[in-house]
Amino acid sequence: MIQTIAQKEFVSTLRDRRFAVLSGLVLLLLLAATLVGRASYRTLQQERQLAQQTVNDQFRNQPARHPHRVAHYGSFAFRPKSGLSLLDSGVDSFTGSVAYLEAHQQNSINFSQAQQAGSLIRFGEMTVAFVLQLLVPLLIIFLCFGAFTEERETGTLKLLLSQGVTLRQVAWGKIVGYSRAVALVVAPALVLAAALLFTGEEFTGGPDLVARLVLFVVGYAVYFFVFVVGAVVVSAWQASSRAALITLLGFWILGCIILPKATANLGATLYPTITKAQMDAEVHEQAQHGIDGHDPHDQRAEALKAALLKKYGVDSEEKLPVSLAGVQMAAGEEYSAKVYQQHFAALNATYEQQNRLSNWAGLLNPYQAIRPLSMGLAGSDFAHYVHFQQAAEAYRYGLVQRLNGLQASMGHGDKERRLGADTWRELPVFTYQAPSLGWVLPRLLLPVAALLLWAVGLCWLGLRLISKTSVA
Amino acid sequence: MTYLLEARELRKQYADKLALRELNLQIAPGEIFCLLGQNGAGKSTTINLFLGFIAPTSGAAFVGGLEVAANPLEIKKHLAYIPENVMLYPHLSGLENLALFSSLAGFKYPESELLAYLTDAGLPTEAVRRRVGTYSKGMRQKVGIAIAVAKHAKVLLLDEPTSGLDPKASNEFSELLRRLSEQGTAVLMATHDIFRAKEVGTRVGIMREGELVDVRPTATLNAQELEQLYLTYMN
Amino acid sequence: MRVFWILFAAEWRHFRAAKGLVLLCGLLLATGVYGIYYGTTEIERQRQQLAALPELTHRNVEELKVKFPGPADAGDIGYYHSTFAVHHPDPWAALSLGLRDVNPSYVKLRLLGLQNQLYATDNTNPMKLLSGNFDLAFVLVYLLPLLVVALSFNLLSSEREEGILPLLLAQPIRSATVIAAKLAFRVALVLGLVWLLSGVGMAWAGVPLDGRVFSWLALSTLYCLFWFGVVLVVTALQRTSAVNAVALLGVWLALVVLVPSLLSLGVAAARPLPQGIELTIKQREEIHGGWDRPKTETMNRFFALYPQWRDTATIRERFVWRWYYAFQHLGDLAVAPQAAAYATGLQARHNLVETLNLLSPAINAQTSLNALAGSDLPTHLAFQRSATRYHDSLRAFYYPFLFRKVEFTHADYAQEPRHSFTSQPELATAQHGLLKLLLSVAAVYGLGLMLLRVRPVSPR
Repeated sequence: MIQTIAQKEFVSTLRDRRFAVLSGLVLLLLLAATLVGRASYRTLQQERQLAQQTVNDQFRNQPARHPHRVAHYGSFAFRPKSGLSLLDSGVDSFTGSVAYLEAHQQNSINFSQAQQAGSLIRFGEMTVAFVLQLLVPLLIIFLCFGAFTEERETGTLKLLLSQGVTLRQVAWGKIVGYSRAVALVVAPALVLAAALLFTGEEFTGGPDLVARLVLFVVGYAVYFFVFVVGAVVVSAWQASSRAALITLLGFWILGCIILPKATANLGATLYPTITKAQMDAEVHEQAQHGIDGHDPHDQRAEALKAALLKKYGVDSEEKLPVSLAGVQMAAGEEYSAKVYQQHFAALNATYEQQNRLSNWAGLLNPYQAIRPLSMGLAGSDFAHYVHFQQAAEAYRYGLVQRLNGLQASMGHGDKERRLGADTWRELPVFTYQAPSLGWVLPRLLLPVAALLLWAVGLCWLGLRLISKTSVA
Repeated sequence: MTYLLEARELRKQYADKLALRELNLQIAPGEIFCLLGQNGAGKSTTINLFLGFIAPTSGAAFVGGLEVAANPLEIKKHLAYIPENVMLYPHLSGLENLALFSSLAGFKYPESELLAYLTDAGLPTEAVRRRVGTYSKGMRQKVGIAIAVAKHAKVLLLDEPTSGLDPKASNEFSELLRRLSEQGTAVLMATHDIFRAKEVGTRVGIMREGELVDVRPTATLNAQELEQLYLTYMN
Repeated sequence: MRVFWILFAAEWRHFRAAKGLVLLCGLLLATGVYGIYYGTTEIERQRQQLAALPELTHRNVEELKVKFPGPADAGDIGYYHSTFAVHHPDPWAALSLGLRDVNPSYVKLRLLGLQNQLYATDNTNPMKLLSGNFDLAFVLVYLLPLLVVALSFNLLSSEREEGILPLLLAQPIRSATVIAAKLAFRVALVLGLVWLLSGVGMAWAGVPLDGRVFSWLALSTLYCLFWFGVVLVVTALQRTSAVNAVALLGVWLALVVLVPSLLSLGVAAARPLPQGIELTIKQREEIHGGWDRPKTETMNRFFALYPQWRDTATIRERFVWRWYYAFQHLGDLAVAPQAAAYATGLQARHNLVETLNLLSPAINAQTSLNALAGSDLPTHLAFQRSATRYHDSLRAFYYPFLFRKVEFTHADYAQEPRHSFTSQPELATAQHGLLKLLLSVAAVYGLGLMLLRVRPVSPR
């Protein structure tokens, strides 16, 4: 019974010229967005890989230098794009792409694409995720708003029910039929994306990518299903096609335009953060005077010197087998890095508080559930960005401490000497390993739960509503 | 003498269908001309042509001696129209609807007069201030009649005006039409109701497939003869 | 005219009766007020943050005074001392935040090479940047057209669908008058809302009462009129309410979402940007190469540019600050072409958008409002130029100490130049925007009137 109705809806949808035009447009946009995403991924990735290669080579090919000069020469960490970011670039355009890594300080990650795109970027970016998250639901609304109202207006609903079909069966039939039509529009683009992902040599495939892509597709399938069911329910609930369309469009505007922006803005207002200048000043101050003000830098340095003299049983700095400056530098770096980490953690905790409002709004708004899920799976969300920042800082810290260690081992009077060029070739270069799916998934429980809740809740509540709807 | 309604070789051709074939018709003041015919025979097309809602393919329609196509605004001052299914603004009351439409026609009546028009048309007093959304079809029809009467037009164009009215109200409407025609109003009424046409009309015209096939003064035949005549044409 | 006012008054009664629409207007008013609240608090927050920066400089100076209790080598001061170039918002920015969140509103500067300091970013929450600003400009440019659509998608079609139109058109009134009255009522309603919100916004943000008040109102009014022009065109096509709703939303989607995002791609492709990355890497190479190059070579290159310091003592020491700062500056100069190319590249992209924004009045309105508020890219570039000049003046301040070996005393801190830059509106851009908007408005009304002329209103 359900199959018959589904087949009827599917066929009549395909015969509807308006649907053909709209879905053709959406499909075209999806394909275009996929290709554009691939092209932009390629450009950015090549640019960054090349730049990373360049700075790595430069680092390894340094002449004989004092290690502390090398620490200031430093290196750069370029953020590689994740493979799936060609489908959903998430926050990538709004985060910097490169951090300068040097001794003593943690620099900001600079040169975001948003800074280079001007105010146009405020209107949104044409990515696959954009089409899937905003335009496909709109297509679904146009497809389904008349599901019940039209049958009621033309009187065919009575005819259907007089044949012994229940309202619930009609609803399921419609849902199945419309879902098939939507799948027909979306599937080609996703197949193309998958083909690009798994055939292009620039992508490192592997099971992790497959699993991410599968979850990505499943996530969007549930999202679209929620919209199809929602639209059918609203169509049954409203008296006229016009009212159903307006209601659905109202929900779309509220959910996809107003709420995401409002919650993000409200979060930022509720949980203010400090500027980088302020934070750097505080880090500096606490590194100088001790985290709690009891352990100033000078005292620490003095104590360290005394301990060293005692350890080696000598009475002056000159007699030490290690460079005091190097040891002190290492201790100072350790201390200031610890202070920085505390502040960085606090800052990110505040950002997470800001974003939490938006994430919880996913329970009210499916768009705000699919968005974090999608960019989380694509590896382009805030958590992945922080992961990169931490990886860059960990590398910076490791490198600088290794250089401080080298300096310490040079013994007293190191300032007058240099280490050979081959020393730098033995130091590790920055390579970034993006986190695996296992790391990501626990962070995405809320959006997953919200999306499932929507699907189950709508099916249960909505269809109860439908079986009570008026026939005439 | 001048005719209030006149059609000269009036023709309406749609891409796939001839809606009206060269119609020639004159209706004088005081006449009630009833158009009989099946659905799609061209009755509504004729009325719409006189209203200027559609443009003729050839020929011309005249209202009060003015050509409709050339004076689309002027002729509407001379005519009133009641459609088959009078639809009004649902969230305004019957009284407010009448006030609105009358003022659009250029009449500003005090409320007592508006009330009189409505009750004269047969609308129950308790209903006049209720929202039209709560009205039955018959009640809306009565407001439509009130709007037409309040316009004091020389010409009445009626498209199945009594559909939805109960027999009593229909009779009252017929009475009203007679009164108006005695005052010199010309009436063109499309209807399915042969008996009503015979009873109220001064002439009846029978239309078939866009053509006015016969015109008879009602005085010359009784109801049975008229029905017989009608059925002859329909077969 | 009499009929017009009767219909106009009738529209008011219809509107009052339609609770949903009243609610929608209320909602827009509420979002507008929230937008104003958000914009003003955001700008106030930025102001407070900027106001806190002198305190940081002060603390830095106090620390240096402890570190260097007596007269010090200015080289040490220049190395450890940091100060700020600040970009103060114009009060109008509260109504149209533009790129003020994407671009930092201050740059921390030391006497070192400028180019690896100039592009530092502030702490930002990328999720927030992605979601964008909920300011008044967003409400006007993005949401207002949706209200126009909601109010007008059934402008004439509802009368037709409810069967009132035949009776209405049987009255001696022109169909054009009916449409005009209905449109005029909605225009009055929406413009009322726009002016009210703009007035509240201006008062709340405390903007100076200059010509920009007029420009803002003119821009938002024309933008509204444009959308009503689109309504006129769609109404003139005389389709059903559902088709109208879809068509109007389609136009909204096209102009507010699709055209901008496609244009963004097009502009990026048409004006490829020399990457800032390249510039930073090259500058590092130049500066660190300075350590390894013979000092005389460095100094001779420097003296060629600054002959006034040529007569200073020849450097024989292993390290001396004036040599250090000389190669820092030479590092900047070595990447000057790249830096200029980066800035002009950004400007070229912006200019291309300015030229092409005739394609979408939404982009035009947004960029014009940003221009009016001085919150767009050109203003940020102007700030960067100003920061560069500030860095020049810092160098000019410290060079005599360094090259003449003048000792830096505690009193000298107060003599150090300070920086302040306040956004300037780009009035010319806003005026061009206004003209182009006028053109768009004329085009849609022309099309609408032509369509109405070609296809007279049919009652059914």
